[in-house]
Amino acid sequence: MSQDSHQESFIKKYIFSQDHKVIGIQYGLLSLFFLLFGFFLMMIMRWQLAYPDQVIPIIGPLMFENGILSPDMYNSFGAMHGTIMIFLGVVPIVVGAFGNYLVPLQIGAPDMAFPKLNMVSFWSYFIGGFVMMYGFVLPGGAANSGWTSYPPLSDLATAGQTVWLIGMVFLITSSLLGSMNIIVTIVQLRVKGLTYMKLPLFVWSQLVTSFLLVLAFPPLEAAAVFQLMDRLAGTSFFLPTGLIHGGAIVDVAGGGSPILWQHLFWFLAHPEVYVLILPAMGVVCEIIANNTRKPIWNYKTMVYSLIFLGFMSFAVWAHHMFQTGMGQGMSAFFQITTMIISVPSVVILSGLFITLWGGRIRFNTPMLFALAFLPMFGIGGLTGLPLGLAPSDIPLHDTYYVIGHFHYVVAPGTIFAIFAGIYFWFPKVTGKQLNETLGKIHFWFSFVFMNGIFMPMFLQGIAGVSRRLADGGTTYAHAANTIHYNEFMSWSAWCLGLAQLPFIINMIMTLIRKRKDKVDPNPWKATTIEWTDTTSPPLGHGNFDTVPSVYRGPYEYSVPGESEEFTPQSKKDVNSENK
Amino acid sequence: MSHDNIQDHIKVYRNIFLALLTFTVLTVAISYVHFDLVWVGILVGLLIAGIKGYLVAANFMHLNNEKKMIYWILILTASFLVLLFFMPTLWDNNIAHSETTVLFDDPGGREYLEKSSH
Amino acid sequence: MQIPYNEKLRPDTGLYNAKLGIWLFLASEIMLFGGLFSAYVLLRSSNADFMMHQHYLNVPLATLNTIILITSSVTMVMAWVSLKLNDLKKYKLYMLLTLLCSVGFLIVKFFEYSAKFEHHLYPSTDNFLGTYFTLTGLHGLHIIGGMVVMIYLVGPGVKMWETNKERFTNRVEVIGLYWHFVDLVWIFLFPALYLL
Ligand code: HEM
Ligand SMILES: [Cu+2]
Repeated sequence: MSQDSHQESFIKKYIFSQDHKVIGIQYGLLSLFFLLFGFFLMMIMRWQLAYPDQVIPIIGPLMFENGILSPDMYNSFGAMHGTIMIFLGVVPIVVGAFGNYLVPLQIGAPDMAFPKLNMVSFWSYFIGGFVMMYGFVLPGGAANSGWTSYPPLSDLATAGQTVWLIGMVFLITSSLLGSMNIIVTIVQLRVKGLTYMKLPLFVWSQLVTSFLLVLAFPPLEAAAVFQLMDRLAGTSFFLPTGLIHGGAIVDVAGGGSPILWQHLFWFLAHPEVYVLILPAMGVVCEIIANNTRKPIWNYKTMVYSLIFLGFMSFAVWAHHMFQTGMGQGMSAFFQITTMIISVPSVVILSGLFITLWGGRIRFNTPMLFALAFLPMFGIGGLTGLPLGLAPSDIPLHDTYYVIGHFHYVVAPGTIFAIFAGIYFWFPKVTGKQLNETLGKIHFWFSFVFMNGIFMPMFLQGIAGVSRRLADGGTTYAHAANTIHYNEFMSWSAWCLGLAQLPFIINMIMTLIRKRKDKVDPNPWKATTIEWTDTTSPPLGHGNFDTVPSVYRGPYEYSVPGESEEFTPQSKKDVNSENK
Repeated sequence: MSHDNIQDHIKVYRNIFLALLTFTVLTVAISYVHFDLVWVGILVGLLIAGIKGYLVAANFMHLNNEKKMIYWILILTASFLVLLFFMPTLWDNNIAHSETTVLFDDPGGREYLEKSSH
Repeated sequence: MQIPYNEKLRPDTGLYNAKLGIWLFLASEIMLFGGLFSAYVLLRSSNADFMMHQHYLNVPLATLNTIILITSSVTMVMAWVSLKLNDLKKYKLYMLLTLLCSVGFLIVKFFEYSAKFEHHLYPSTDNFLGTYFTLTGLHGLHIIGGMVVMIYLVGPGVKMWETNKERFTNRVEVIGLYWHFVDLVWIFLFPALYLL
């Protein structure tokens, strides 16, 4: 099939490409850039937290008035850190990059079901990112009402908020189109023999994630439209009557409800955290099965847990709102659903631990990251339980405990899974394998410093330090004995930045180094069919010279009686004729 | 789909069209009727809208004869839609009967007030 | 690059790709309008004076618009039936009629809006009018979006009929599904805003 890819112009091949592999790489590069950028904002903020109101060395005088990150700028950087990390970093990389590149290959499809739409969703993401960034040059700076954009604050905030909302509309459009495409691809383009119960868990995780995106994002879009109307047309959907701002009553009709925003926002944003974590689980499943050389424990249970997790994630949103006076009935309902949803997460995590049992584990870089994911996600999940119960949530709400909790899920959790995925599929994408020594250096330093940043946050939070404080809580007498952790955490964060250098150097070196000998197309001895596709690399439009058929499940490692210790999904089952 | 079959379809479309027009007139007419209980009027209005919606979805959008996959997607969507509607109807800060709009209704406080007034 | 099941039905699902795609899109639209409607319910139920300005809305004009939209749904489905009957001329006629209806709808909407502005009734006047303008405005945008696709499908897009009849018919079915959905939203918007 790759033969019929007649000469395409550079622009059509690499810029406005409709090839899922090229689009996946585009997504990957742009979202890695945004992840780095969001981290960069945080490194600057961490200076302000460790050394409040001292001039930032080197970059301070270049970037800021007086060389200090002012409280307003701190708010803006914090809001943009959250927004960028979630909507411009993690979601595009796990769904846009990994999903786009791998799903068609793992199900044996020639491309996504709608290649043109795929291109549109990437460019919609690009525009959304650009619009968001534009906020930084506006008077008053970028959005500064937190990534949650709670009104009435956000309704009355500077112009950056308008740009944030418009950017969100583009990003939502991008995610909606992308996830519909993934669902249709998985449902319609599976190759012969690949039934649902033979899908790799990564594909399952993408399917569930895409459903979450399709059904949860629209209510936020509705909310964004309302907030845009509030800001531009003077409506008061989110503004109550008699609101006082800057010493005067705000001149609007009033009668609106700030709580309304919180509902619509969290109706998206809780499923969104599963969008951040499910694909990461999928990646980790693939890598763990591959490197323990064992089938995943109880494949079907894992699948049903994923589905149940996705389904339940729509029924827990108000556990973010225990402070709003929702009444005991509602509060009980959402506490119960939150406890229920923790069950499938525990099942999945335990399943992965059980899979390790008795395996001949290969400790390569992807596996190290995947292994680290398990306890890190475990800590993140367990520390979430007190937040799901109103009595303990009320004192912990909006403290650094919350920041510690969800960062354990998304930073040493999802980000480690992303690293694992990059190391694992790099040979698939480029035909070259990343250097193991540099990879291990990257892993160990990242692992240590990640924990150095986030572990002390639990203690600070329990001591009562609020989040979103530009001075890191120096004025909090009641938490005085935890404030000095800030310096340690900040140094950990900067060292974490340094620890990414081996990774970046590794990628660049590997890419520019010329290798004469062709690498093995299946370097990890994996079973899923993307590794049997030999048409790419090098990059060319079209997958699979001969379309494979699938005869078996995705994780047939060390099957007794097979000639090799791994049995590719496309290997014909000799017994199948007899059955 | 054979030709006769399609001729049948066309007839169905015509009938649905007439039904929709009738219900439109009906719903406007009923809106002029005064119901003592406001919610009865709302219920009747929604009922008629529901019937019209069903007619469109079942016939023009062919939902009366669609593939299983589509039904599953719609059932999934409908169940989340119910949850979304959960939000205004069951919320305790429903302050429909208060004179003014209060930003944060505090049920604990209200209970306290009620108790202390006895 | 040939994507399977663009025009043929996949045996196990019985669907072609775009049909599944449009239904997923409509599912997301259901959630979008669901969010808008439930916000309306919340705002309305938490404010006793919410409907204060409802009597300014023009019921006869809105009734007219309802009839126009219902008619356009019928012409749309007839356009698709005409293709099934292999009659391109009739298809074009019905498609143009549908377009005509949508233009009519927008014109009526324009008169409604300008009458409101003349009476100094703006989205900012109160939350009922805010909801009215936002919901009907978004619905209007959906109408315009549908019109753009329809113009393409009677204009340059019709070329596909020569090369790939099946796929073209599928495209018309898909825009039809979208159009009926927009009609369906109006069926609920009309009583919710104007009557109840
Ligand atoms: C790995 C490096 C990271 C570091 C050092 C870091 C650090 C922080 C800190 C200290 C805060 C609290 C700021 C404050 O309350 O004043 C914060 C907030 C936040 N972070 Fe991160 N973070 C990192 C990665 C991530 C990732 C990967 C995500 C998401 C996928 C993320 C999402 C958020 C969000 C949503 C907030 C809340 C922003 C708000 O208050 O509106 N962070 N981060
Ligand atoms: Cu949540």
